Amino acid sequence: MSFLQPLLLAALPLIALPILIHLINQRRFQTIRWGAMMFLLAANRMSRGYAKLRQWLILLFRTLAIAGLIFGVARPLASGWLGLTAGGRPDTTIILLDRSPSMRQQGEGQAGTKLDTGRHQLARSLSLLGSAKWVLIESTTNTPREIESPDVLMNLPATEPASSSADLPAMLQAARDYIQANKSGRTEVWICSDIRANDWNAESGRWATLRDAFLELTQGVRFHLLAYPQAAAGNMSLRVTNVRRQQGSDGAELLVSLKLTREGVADDAEKVSVPVSFEIEGARSEASVEMTGSQFELKDHRIPIERQKDRGWGKVSIPADANSADNDFYFVFDQPAVRQTIIVADDANAARPLQLSAAISPDPALKLAAEVLTVDQLPTVEWDQVSLVLWQAPLPDGPAADVIQTFVDRGGQIVFFPTQAVTSTSFAGASWQSWVETPDGIAIETWRGDQDLLAHTQSGAALPVGQLQVRKHCGLSGEHIPLATLKGGTPLLARVTTNRGGVYFCATTPAMADSSLAENGVVLYVLVQRALALGAAVLGNTRQLVSGDVSGEQPTAWQQVAGPPEALSTEFAFHGGVYSAGERLLALNRGSAEDQAAVLADGRVAELFQGLDFARVDDKAGNLAALIQEIWRLFLVAMIIALIVEAALCLPKKVSQVVSA
Amino acid sequence: MFADRQPRSFLDTGALSRLAAVPLCARRPMQGNVSGRHTSPHRGASVEFAEYRKYVPGDDLRRLDWRAYGRSDRFYVKEFEADTNLRLCVVLDTSGSMDFGSTGVTKIEYARKITGSLAYLASQQGDAVGLSCVANGIVRNIPPKRGPAHLMNVFDILEQTQPSSETQLVPVLHELAETIRQRALIVILSDFFVEPELLRGCLQHLRFRKHDVSMFQLLDPLELNFNFRRPMRFIDMEGGPAIFAEPNEIADRYQKALQKYADELLAVVLESAVDFHPVTLDESFEQVLMRFLVGRTRTKGVR
Repeated sequence: MSFLQPLLLAALPLIALPILIHLINQRRFQTIRWGAMMFLLAANRMSRGYAKLRQWLILLFRTLAIAGLIFGVARPLASGWLGLTAGGRPDTTIILLDRSPSMRQQGEGQAGTKLDTGRHQLARSLSLLGSAKWVLIESTTNTPREIESPDVLMNLPATEPASSSADLPAMLQAARDYIQANKSGRTEVWICSDIRANDWNAESGRWATLRDAFLELTQGVRFHLLAYPQAAAGNMSLRVTNVRRQQGSDGAELLVSLKLTREGVADDAEKVSVPVSFEIEGARSEASVEMTGSQFELKDHRIPIERQKDRGWGKVSIPADANSADNDFYFVFDQPAVRQTIIVADDANAARPLQLSAAISPDPALKLAAEVLTVDQLPTVEWDQVSLVLWQAPLPDGPAADVIQTFVDRGGQIVFFPTQAVTSTSFAGASWQSWVETPDGIAIETWRGDQDLLAHTQSGAALPVGQLQVRKHCGLSGEHIPLATLKGGTPLLARVTTNRGGVYFCATTPAMADSSLAENGVVLYVLVQRALALGAAVLGNTRQLVSGDVSGEQPTAWQQVAGPPEALSTEFAFHGGVYSAGERLLALNRGSAEDQAAVLADGRVAELFQGLDFARVDDKAGNLAALIQEIWRLFLVAMIIALIVEAALCLPKKVSQVVSA
Repeated sequence: MFADRQPRSFLDTGALSRLAAVPLCARRPMQGNVSGRHTSPHRGASVEFAEYRKYVPGDDLRRLDWRAYGRSDRFYVKEFEADTNLRLCVVLDTSGSMDFGSTGVTKIEYARKITGSLAYLASQQGDAVGLSCVANGIVRNIPPKRGPAHLMNVFDILEQTQPSSETQLVPVLHELAETIRQRALIVILSDFFVEPELLRGCLQHLRFRKHDVSMFQLLDPLELNFNFRRPMRFIDMEGGPAIFAEPNEIADRYQKALQKYADELLAVVLESAVDFHPVTLDESFEQVLMRFLVGRTRTKGVR
């Protein structure tokens, strides 16, 4: 139990008052000379059970009455928030609100979503507790903003549900920075979240740093977690995996591939029919899919469109279920832009296979162009139209390096190949070392098949990377992530960490003398095409974006084309929908991690806050009962009952006249 | 009577004059030494015919009933009842507990009033009056005698006696039962704070000696009601250990003990045919005595 006025509990020793008065009264006895001692002696010899018990009961009820009064005025709270207010009113209360799509999940048979319930509970509970200052950090911006009172949580647009995922470590970091910057006194941090694994990112190294940072704070910081960990059984989520426009002889059509995921059902669950609704710029159509397991993929669903419609937007929906946030998916389509590759090569033998792999289109609808240039010709390139750079020359230096860096920052992809003349120049922290020749060839020992350029194909088959033979390779120094390594641990393909874009280093060249990349062209072709596709994704007039991650765009200039009408223009970046930015169309959707319903285990959450003052309470979406409520009335009633019982016990017994005169 | 003396504090002349209207009677035949107004166990020379008895040689010829002889040709002697005076022995408890009184009058003062009045009334009707002041033994003892001078002595002793020491009522009563000549009116004034079972023996002893026994039990209202509010330390007036008690806590049991004692005492006095009068000190002694005297007239002694 907690108290709003815990300082008043200091008066608790007053409950000893009746006992003290009793003792004092005992000492203030009167003396009388008495004749009828025989009756007193007889009375003393009799059993004193009830009389003694009555005295103790009277004392007990007097004590209880005072205790009831003291507890009553200390304003007790009935709640699960253990140790709620150890020191009374806090100086600052920081509310961390998880607005991620999963918080829109509704409780079973309840109308309210997790977010609504959480906001409501926080508003009610925190209003009761009080604080000198209120600060809200919501999950889209992770920026502290001071609010007037917790009541505004109910109608503040910044607390409405969003499509972007939360980043709890970043939110806590923001809270910590706020506490440090404002030198706030005793602080309470209230976290309202559904503790989804993707939002909490429990494996992140930031947690340990955060813990230490909070432990260093001298003012007491107390964490309260209002958790909504219930999974939505049977919730279905929808994700469009691919949209292509195809021009046929008799018209144009869209090929939409999508994926349906059902939560909490076995693979052999009974068949359900899901009506999938497609909307292409207002024109609706519907398709019903039969789904048996937990996942279903619809490949290339054809939707006819007007022949002259080159670009546009669409929306796929499924009927409402436990979580309304994952029932819609927006997409945009356009005539694919020409995927242009710039090849900067010293060695013509190496340049040719690269040019071929970059120029041959895997799809007739795609137009590819590859141009071989020298370093000197770089200033003439229109970089806005380039998707990929294949660099088989000494690492760029000076102005060339700046140009390449700008290209990468814009989201472009570049793959570096070594040249015969190794220089000490480095790019993005990595540089070439000396060449190593192995005339017999070295096989590739390991490569990453789960992601990036050498990932398995969509059917799950591995690329024939193991069949490659490398006869000559160049060492690589600097910080990098190996994607493929030769026997002996030397990296063959590595990626350097960048904010945007992709910088890859391939330790050999496709020249016949160096490797079998050209002979066994599959790997080279896939590698180049994948890099090309990544680079092309940021170009063109349409773009698929993940909500909350809109780097390179100007959300403030966006116009909403489709999407939730309640979304504010300042928050377009966090609400799924279709937006126009000038001539370009952008489709914004929740991140793919949001479709994974994994929730952090209780023990893991406790571990994250280990050493910190942390209390957790689990609530349910739609819960109408207040988390905390004042129960001083109960104590006053208890006090009154105690007083009545005490009075009844004190009533003198009707004395019967023993000896009548 | 009080011409040259200070009036006795325990005598109320008004009350005495009113009480004088009712005679002090004995419930059973008394054995006095002079003629009086009380029935005697023996035949005597009163005017009240008792019986005819056959003449036996040695009888006084003057008592032959000649008329009866004339009718029946047999000698009969005519007998009459004898009237005698009584010996009133007042046993006054002067133990420490008799000094208690919460109504402005102590038990001993109240007892003095009853004793003085009874002595005066008995003396007025020619009865002999004696007084035994008892505590842990017989403190003062004056045997029954008649005459105003003796009454003055009784009053003097009554005036001088002071309550002290503990009660040894039981052995004292046994002793008095033996020492007082048979067939006397014995009036005991005490609070009788002794076990009723022990008292039973004494009373039976007195009854066996053909005494007419009356008991006045003097109790203070506070002793009966026990209505204390604050914790009290009770100091034994007879020198026993003090007791500390919370009245609220002990009152119930005190009343129980008192009730049990009263029931047992009543049983004992009924079995012993004792004229028992429980008295609380807030009552008028005149009324108590009037009740006593009137009650006795109804049960006037048979021969």
